[in-house]
Amino acid sequence: MLKGTGLVLGGLAVPGVLESCLTSSSSTPSGTIKIGYISPITGPAAGFGEPDAYVIGLAKKALQGGLSIGGTDYSVQIINRDGQSTPSVGSQQASDLIQSQKVDLMLTTSTPETVNPVSDACEAAGVPCISTVVPWEAWYLGRGAKPGQPSPFKYTFHYCFGVEQFFLAYTHLWPQVPTNKKVGVMYPNDADGNAIRGVLAPLLKGAGYTIVDPGPYEDGTNDYTAQIQKFISEDCQIFNTFPIPPDFATFWRQASQQGYTHHVKIGQIAKTGLFPSQVTSLGSIGNGLASGVYWAPTWPYKSSLTGVTSKQLGDGYESATGKQWNQQLGASLSLFDVAAAVLKASGNPKDKSKIVDAMKTLTVETPVGNLDWSKPASLAGTAVPNVVSTPIIGGQWKEGVSKWPIDFVICENAADPKVPIASTLKPYTG
Amino acid sequence: MTLLNAALQGVFLGAFYAVLACGLSIMFGVMRIINLAHGDIAVFGAYVVFVIVEHTGVSAFVAFAAALPVMVVLGYLLQLTVLERSLKGGILTPLLATFGLSIVIQNLLQLTFSPDVRSLGGSAGALTTASWQVTGGLSVSALGIVVLVVAVLVFGALQLFLSRTRFGWMMRATAEDADAAELVGINSRHVYASATALAVATAALGGFFLAIRSVFDPVSGPTQLIFAFEAVVIGGMGSLWGTLLGGIALGVAQTLGAQVHPQFSVMAGHLLFLVVLIARYGGGRIALRVAR
Repeated sequence: MLKGTGLVLGGLAVPGVLESCLTSSSSTPSGTIKIGYISPITGPAAGFGEPDAYVIGLAKKALQGGLSIGGTDYSVQIINRDGQSTPSVGSQQASDLIQSQKVDLMLTTSTPETVNPVSDACEAAGVPCISTVVPWEAWYLGRGAKPGQPSPFKYTFHYCFGVEQFFLAYTHLWPQVPTNKKVGVMYPNDADGNAIRGVLAPLLKGAGYTIVDPGPYEDGTNDYTAQIQKFISEDCQIFNTFPIPPDFATFWRQASQQGYTHHVKIGQIAKTGLFPSQVTSLGSIGNGLASGVYWAPTWPYKSSLTGVTSKQLGDGYESATGKQWNQQLGASLSLFDVAAAVLKASGNPKDKSKIVDAMKTLTVETPVGNLDWSKPASLAGTAVPNVVSTPIIGGQWKEGVSKWPIDFVICENAADPKVPIASTLKPYTG
Repeated sequence: MTLLNAALQGVFLGAFYAVLACGLSIMFGVMRIINLAHGDIAVFGAYVVFVIVEHTGVSAFVAFAAALPVMVVLGYLLQLTVLERSLKGGILTPLLATFGLSIVIQNLLQLTFSPDVRSLGGSAGALTTASWQVTGGLSVSALGIVVLVVAVLVFGALQLFLSRTRFGWMMRATAEDADAAELVGINSRHVYASATALAVATAALGGFFLAIRSVFDPVSGPTQLIFAFEAVVIGGMGSLWGTLLGGIALGVAQTLGAQVHPQFSVMAGHLLFLVVLIARYGGGRIALRVAR
């Protein structure tokens, strides 16, 4: 009886001792590095999370032997969570990973709804966070930074394309097809749509394009007769939009019914048409739509952590899952390349300030390109030290290129001349 | 001409809303159930059609005819297994049960079909892009005509069924007073289950039209549900012809609103909904209802 009580008391005491050890020695190596990874696995942005299982598998395999940093061997644990495409859930998952799991480094990807709240939670808690696949202006300005002022972010780092890369891609893609340079635009009344209207549209005007903008519309609109009539009467031979996928499907079918698609020579879509399923689901009217990619298997870069080339990544995913490659594969894997590189460069991965310092000058090869935080993006003439801009490469969805129903064919490479061009842009004929 | 074309497209859009709203109207009319899973059931129906198309390669319309009996049986079982029990728990329980059902359906669909977007637009053939240019600015799409004709036929058939057939009378009697109907020998369980089966079948029709008009994925249901609800309320809760007219009024309001400004499209529909709500019940009575 007495012995039993002693055991229980001893059992209670041990975790307390351990905990105090952990908290008091948080700056000395303790053997295991924990990496949190939050992406949308369910909800409207779930398409982005689809390659996660395969990508995390690759990363875990490469990290199973652990990492040797500054003469100490660490085992590495990846804890992945579903942000459910919802800001409140993303924020909650981040807090849980920070407080309960005590992650040393956070990774997050895909859409402002997941990435921005996770970044905010990490910034507040002083945990280093690396993120991608949110246009960087939406990540930087969307979280309260001001153009022209010093970056308010100390612990959060980002790499992604921005408005400038869209501009580069469009102005190198569109001249490949003769048009009247009149662009009908459908930018919705949401964060992305308003940012694009404010920044991209003036740039395009400056490049000699006439912008025909019927005005913002609400996401979830089911009829686009008003816009279609305007585009027909103005004979807009170029069409550009940043909609949510179902809205574009509704619009494009109605545009076809009402005869606008016969006017269109270039149908340039962004935000939708990222994944093959979004284009094939349109049927024949999807063939020939122009879009942009942030990674493809023809990218000449490899993953520095896993040693997997872009081609191997695409082929491996297709043979493992039986599904066509999609551009999120390269972006998701690149996060683990950055994570491994910065942990090694830090010298002491259990010291968060060392990780942050290492991040500021990090250079690393990833499937999406060679990232270099010593050459940050700039906004209004001021460097944005937390952010590296990455390319968007323009091209066109085409049927009958490979065994898959539709393929993305790269037609320009202004943002990264190392990416091979496969063809030139052909007029839309749907 | 521009306004006329916009109004015409609004009628086509409204017919689609009415089809989507039909099942909601039936379930509310007969059982006083507000089915929050209605949009997800519609999307589920679209997936059933999609699976048949994928496995057999038949036209989407043939596949829908094959999917219909499946949905009827599922609807009947849904009432017997889930809704019947929840009805015994008071007016809030069915609301919670259908809310839960909505989450279950979304996640089951995502597990089975992945989050990829799908469409039946391709397998429905040239009909989805065919149209007639009546004059320069007036275009009549084949799909719009089909949806409108089907909507009128479905609502007409349901109205005849309820007013002219014996089973229709039984359904109305049960809706008026289920206990009294039981006393005169009506099997209210069977009547309720049949009403749900009808509602689920029409939901599948709505999902089918959604899948042809646009694309769908496991979480497409709730976004369309709001318009279906508005159609029911504008037309008068539980009235079938009212729902058809309510849907069309909502569609026309949205397309005419877009002529003022594209941003005004969805808003115009919501405004019509509010105006009808206030005109019918009056501001004071709405407050009273909430207070009670």
